[in-house]
Amino acid sequence: MPSEWRTSAGSPDECGSCGGTEFDNDNFCVNCGTRRPASPRHSDIDLDSVAGSSDIGKRHHNNEDAMGLAVADAWCAAIVCDGVSTSSRPDTASSAAAASGIRTMSRELDKVTDFDEAAVTAVLKRAVGAAQAGAALAAGSEVGPNPPSTTLVSAIVSPAGVTVGWIGDSRAYWVPDGDISGAGVLTVDDTLAGQLAAAGVTISDDAPNAGALLRWLGADATDTQPHIHTFVPDAPGRVLVCSDGLYRYAPEPTELAAITHTGTAIDVAQALVSFAVTAGGHDNVTVVVLPYTGPFAAPGSRPEPGAATVPQDADGTDAIEVAEVAPDPADRAGPPGNDAPQSPE
Amino acid sequence: MTQPAFAAEVYQNQYLPAGGDVVDAIVTVTAGGTGGRATSTSAAQIIMVDCSGSMSTPPTKIAAAKMACSTAIDTLRDGVEFAIVAGTASAHMVYPDAPALRVASPQTRADAKAAVARLVANGGTAIGTWLDLSRTIFERSSAEVKHAILLTDGQDQHETREQLLEFLRRCEGRFVCDSRGIGNDWVADELRLVASTLLGTADGLENPSELPAAFEAMTSAAMGKAVADVALRVWAPAGSVIRFVKQAFPQVEDLTGRGTKVSERITDFPTGAWGDESRDYHVSVQIPAGALGEEMLAARVSLVSRDEVLAQSLVLATWTDDNALSTRINERVAHYTGQAELASAIQEGLAARDAGDIETATAKLGRAVQLAAESGHTDTAKLLGKVVDVVDERTGTVRLKQRVAGVDAEIANVRSVKTIRVTKG
Repeated sequence: MPSEWRTSAGSPDECGSCGGTEFDNDNFCVNCGTRRPASPRHSDIDLDSVAGSSDIGKRHHNNEDAMGLAVADAWCAAIVCDGVSTSSRPDTASSAAAASGIRTMSRELDKVTDFDEAAVTAVLKRAVGAAQAGAALAAGSEVGPNPPSTTLVSAIVSPAGVTVGWIGDSRAYWVPDGDISGAGVLTVDDTLAGQLAAAGVTISDDAPNAGALLRWLGADATDTQPHIHTFVPDAPGRVLVCSDGLYRYAPEPTELAAITHTGTAIDVAQALVSFAVTAGGHDNVTVVVLPYTGPFAAPGSRPEPGAATVPQDADGTDAIEVAEVAPDPADRAGPPGNDAPQSPE
Repeated sequence: MTQPAFAAEVYQNQYLPAGGDVVDAIVTVTAGGTGGRATSTSAAQIIMVDCSGSMSTPPTKIAAAKMACSTAIDTLRDGVEFAIVAGTASAHMVYPDAPALRVASPQTRADAKAAVARLVANGGTAIGTWLDLSRTIFERSSAEVKHAILLTDGQDQHETREQLLEFLRRCEGRFVCDSRGIGNDWVADELRLVASTLLGTADGLENPSELPAAFEAMTSAAMGKAVADVALRVWAPAGSVIRFVKQAFPQVEDLTGRGTKVSERITDFPTGAWGDESRDYHVSVQIPAGALGEEMLAARVSLVSRDEVLAQSLVLATWTDDNALSTRINERVAHYTGQAELASAIQEGLAARDAGDIETATAKLGRAVQLAAESGHTDTAKLLGKVVDVVDERTGTVRLKQRVAGVDAEIANVRSVKTIRVTKG
């Protein structure tokens, strides 16, 4: 099976405010002036073994989350980006980052013949480089004071195990198929609270700036090297890659595992999204479900939260390629010839 | 020759609080690149000279007017069509003999100057009839830029205000007219009415000797116009109201009532002809309030000439619960809001003073002194100083002067609409 990739990024055909279908060159509705967002309100992407769902939730005006999914015989991969809502036009950053990132990730994974931790780590870094380039370009030629910004979390499931990479506070969870007490969070939030917790210090979520992002992708980002961590499970299970719109309602791994039922990837993804929307839908919600079927580590291997340090072997000279994010949903598919279903409702 | 390149820049605070529905923006339009001489644009120029009897007292007035006319004629480049009109209680041709235009050449310029030299001052003043004759003459020309200069030394006595308004209505959109007053008896309101209806400038000259330079400046500015009939086109979204559209620099000109609907969402406001110059517009739009986080286009402001878009810019609105963003006041919007208030404070203050309402006059002119000082508008402060004694410019405390030369009040009035730009600190 050739590899295939898909992304939720792509502007909707209809104006979310008035239903108009005509937009000017600056992407404003010619009737009511509302800006056309870079992602639809709701997306489902089903690549059989891997699937994702994304929803606007109940409070936000646009879906500022975006996802990218890719699958091949030997591997599957996902990226979830959550636009930083205090930045300008965050949907443009998240959609550009997800689209650029998944395209590069898919292409680079296709080139890998020996799946070991180093090879997959290198792919992930290149993909995040492309995602950063996409997010930075979303600012346009004149970068304003508060350019579009996004978080990014990514997982690659391969013969090397589960490799996660992230910038910001979107997360990856491990949910074993059997005993859910083995569930764990694979990422460490790039927030003050998250970093302190990883160092063994607990502070209140209400503490000033506890949840403020320390790192992000975008034109004004200075440190865009992802945290990367590889984990080899000892049993089959699923990796959930999600935005905080989901985990705010079930932050503990066992809580999240308890509501992650067995079923097809798309069923699980949709069920988790609808759980978060029902629970309040305070934020946009996005989750991608990736299956893990081996190889397995020796019994007893526990998921450890990823190291909070940036890998030192960053070869920053890698060429970065940015995917064009086409506003036309018809162009939102992966390589030509794939007829995977298109998502927006 | 080269068409000027137009550029439009927007200055605004696009952030609105929840429920906020008014967006103000200053749009700076700059045209450049013609080098000041737009030789490819065809132009027609008419000069209307007041020849009423009062122009001969003192005789320096009519002499200066003749000199100014000659200077203006010399400024016309070859190929420009022109005519000279003498204005009294009616209007008659000075050059050529019949109501028509002549093409400028060394011969026609010499003939015209000879005709001007023979002018005598005798008769009344009916400005509307002068404008009407100019309109008739311009109708025979296909020139792209049609520009007139009106010079008067007195009040528009020999026609009613209604007659003047009717003549102006007929001329509107047909040509651009700058108006100038000399001597002591012209009326600022009349000059401003003419200039503002016909998209020109109005001013008073303190001394007849300034006339030739003023005429040369007006003529060469007119000759520098490279694009005629430019409109400020405003697109505003469904459910919105254009609160006002004002030119804010170089002088205040309220264009709100002068819009022409192009379509349901689009209105064109006239701006006349453009050369190498820069103007600021203040656009204020009321839009349906959006949800927090929503971003919308509150207005698209473009400059169009015969449906060709020369430049455009976007006025945006974003709703936020961040008070630090939504309470920020754009410096230029605030500045021009102050300059517009300054203009009306002067006009209302002088009107109250003429009506004998000392209290209102003192309050308004005091406020004007304060605003002029705050914005660094020293020219206006100087003019106000001829009308009031300033006790404290910071608080706007003033006393009306007992004796004021009539012309000082008219000059303060006619120049009240002149604005200055924000000075970068």
